[in-house]
Amino acid sequence: MNAASMAIIENLAEIENYTILPAAGNAQALYENRDIQAIVSISDSLTAGGLTAYHIYIQYDTANEQSRTVYSKLKEQLAESEKALMQEQLQLRGVPTDVMNILDVRQIDTASSQRKMGMILGMFLPYIMIIMLLTGASVVAADLVAGEKERKTLETLLVSGIGRLEIVIGKYLTIITLAMLNLVVNLFSISFSMRYMLSQAGMDMSGASLPLNSILILLAAMLPLATLFAAILLSLSTFSRNMKEARTYEQPLMMVSMMMAMISFLPAIEMSNLMALIPVINIALLFKAVMIEEYQVSHLLITIGSTLILDVFAIWATIKLFKTESILFRSDDDSGSIKAIKKNKASFFNPYNGIVYFSIALLLLYYLGSYWQGQDLWRGLLNTQIFIIALPALLLLRILKLNSRDVLRLKPPKLLPVVLVPFMAVPAAILVATLAQLINAIYPFPEQYLENLTKLFKMDIPLWQSFMIIAVAPGVCEELLFRGMFPRFFEKYGMKVNIVVTALLFAAFHLDPFRFVSVFLLGLLLGYQTLRSGSIYLSMLSHTINNGLALFITAFAGERWIKIFISRDDMLQYWLALPALMIFIIALWMFHKVTGEQTCAE
Amino acid sequence: MIRVQNLVKEFPKKDGSKFYAVNDASFTANDGEIVCLLGVNGAGKTTTMRVLSTVFQPSSGTAEIQGWDIITHPHKVRENLGFLSGDTGLYNRLRVHEFIRYFGRLYSISDSEITRRMDEMAELLDMKDFMDKKIEFLSTGMKQKVSIVRSIIHDPPVMIFDEPTSGLDILTARNIVAFIRSCKERGKCVLFSTHIMREAERLADRVVMIHKGRILADGSLEALRETTGQTDLDDIFIHYVNQSDLETEVQAHEF
Repeated sequence: MNAASMAIIENLAEIENYTILPAAGNAQALYENRDIQAIVSISDSLTAGGLTAYHIYIQYDTANEQSRTVYSKLKEQLAESEKALMQEQLQLRGVPTDVMNILDVRQIDTASSQRKMGMILGMFLPYIMIIMLLTGASVVAADLVAGEKERKTLETLLVSGIGRLEIVIGKYLTIITLAMLNLVVNLFSISFSMRYMLSQAGMDMSGASLPLNSILILLAAMLPLATLFAAILLSLSTFSRNMKEARTYEQPLMMVSMMMAMISFLPAIEMSNLMALIPVINIALLFKAVMIEEYQVSHLLITIGSTLILDVFAIWATIKLFKTESILFRSDDDSGSIKAIKKNKASFFNPYNGIVYFSIALLLLYYLGSYWQGQDLWRGLLNTQIFIIALPALLLLRILKLNSRDVLRLKPPKLLPVVLVPFMAVPAAILVATLAQLINAIYPFPEQYLENLTKLFKMDIPLWQSFMIIAVAPGVCEELLFRGMFPRFFEKYGMKVNIVVTALLFAAFHLDPFRFVSVFLLGLLLGYQTLRSGSIYLSMLSHTINNGLALFITAFAGERWIKIFISRDDMLQYWLALPALMIFIIALWMFHKVTGEQTCAE
Repeated sequence: MIRVQNLVKEFPKKDGSKFYAVNDASFTANDGEIVCLLGVNGAGKTTTMRVLSTVFQPSSGTAEIQGWDIITHPHKVRENLGFLSGDTGLYNRLRVHEFIRYFGRLYSISDSEITRRMDEMAELLDMKDFMDKKIEFLSTGMKQKVSIVRSIIHDPPVMIFDEPTSGLDILTARNIVAFIRSCKERGKCVLFSTHIMREAERLADRVVMIHKGRILADGSLEALRETTGQTDLDDIFIHYVNQSDLETEVQAHEF
């Protein structure tokens, strides 16, 4: 070992808190036993220029925190040695040593500590605050009507000196007040304990204070959301017969809100006018913007305004529910319990079970489906259709020993409706696409989003495979669930409500705020086709045509014949909407004539 | 006073048909009069009273409380009415005086007036010992007294009590019966329901008999005795029920 390698090792020995052991045969054993954190071996060789070069191997474990620390300390120390050796060589050759500093790199971080803190807080604070608000509100809301029903005090209130409107408003304000109070108290306790914990950990907390006006803006933006939650929760509580039922009905709202609030964790999505229209998501994104001090007043106003509009609608619904005897005094029956299902299998199909089923499927899609599609897009899509959407429904019917042919309306349609379906599906697809283009023109969709959508249509597989995955599989599987299974859950509300409810679920299931309206409209048509005709094959055909059309237009966009329909920037010509609308109305009218109302009465 | 005209209350049944809880009922109750709504369990007593108290909307027909229509002026009806039933529960977490004050305030009565009324009725109903107790610790009888005070804290001219003495011990029941009499003496109009014939006999100026939602008979005890030739109220009631069943039998044969 020469003097230079000795110097390197001596230099390493200067690392504080760690000991350098001399080379020994049992080094590997010690390392594997975690008695030592790294092994350094040094060898040397002569370079072509006649210089001695030292090769240093550091064996360490990246998965081990301690081992990683040792590695970085070793590297630091070795860099010093390297510098010393180089200086020595330069001096030997008579070169001035300031050549060592020829490239002087320095970082200037423009983010204030305020913004850095805001960036981190902006990720998780919206999520925490929205969930806090909702949990605070839900406990109170369940108690205020369902709880009063359970304790038989609601009627005492109803016969007292105040009217029902006053009762609803009073309860509504109580929920808002307590939810906001819960939020503020929790925020204080979190900020206090965080500060304490961080200062205990020796971190500098000077930049960690939120300016008062940010806090006020956040709370001001939170207030409309609190009113919206309060109204929705109050109507759920009014609908429920007891506290337990109310808490169960609150679960789907919780889950959906949590998913929407999680959007603040995604770095790519930023606030826009369109995003500001979607409840919960708008608050989450607004928060993020406020935290890094980059929010726009227009976004704040749209957020508050759109939430308030939904709010008014929700309050109106609550008041209506509160004035509906059959809901306020819903009698007890046990149609939802397992015992009742065993007794009468058909009673499995009630709205409550429908919502639970939907929530489970949505969760599976959100976690498992996205994971699959992340692994391999087209295999993931196919798996999602089969294993999340279609199979569970078929299995469930098998377990309940129900006839899936009857339940899912797997009945051959008559010829004439089948002939009419394409004349409804194609114009409908054009109309919906035109609508989407219009929305896009007013509120442009994010680039990232459009890219992902195009990726879907330009998968690296033959066209017929794309057609199977994008058109046929959803046509069959999604229809089995959304036009076969789900309408059975909501039959008691009559055909119209049933179609609207299942279309809403269908749209929500796509987990895509930008396509919500168009998927909802498509869902209305599909639901109508199946329920009106009594055969699910019609909506399967319709769905396949709709998805297939989008695929083919994308695939043949370059061809000459299709240029008539498509403008230069790959958009549908707006004039197409007019003939489409006319054909659609005529086909719809004929369809209505040739199909009888043979739906829920089976 | 209470005026009920052709009142109908129907509920949808699971098979899609309708169940008539109250079927074309008409009767009146005047000021200074105690009227008893008499019928077996499930006869439609409670439903009739819940419609009168504006909890339910009538399916057809109408009713007035102190001249106010129950559909067009529900607020005025509640101002003029004290209502008590098995479904008007109490807030267990409040103390008695807090609970009564809360409902007094819902009628916009001044605090001093609430205190005065509360003291007065506590005296009459022998409740002074438990005015400061939490409601959850009270006995059934005590709770019923609290309910009564709650229902008439605003001193309404009309009082409707659904089975006010059911499930109570003799002493409390007597106390409440005496209280209802005192209300009549102060010129109030009282409608109460019961399925206990003796209570009706002891308390009512007039008896309205209801069975399967229909009014069978309406009149003072003497008048009913005279018409049926029976002395005992039990027998009078049975007489009317049989008569009505006979009618349905005849109707059934006609079809």
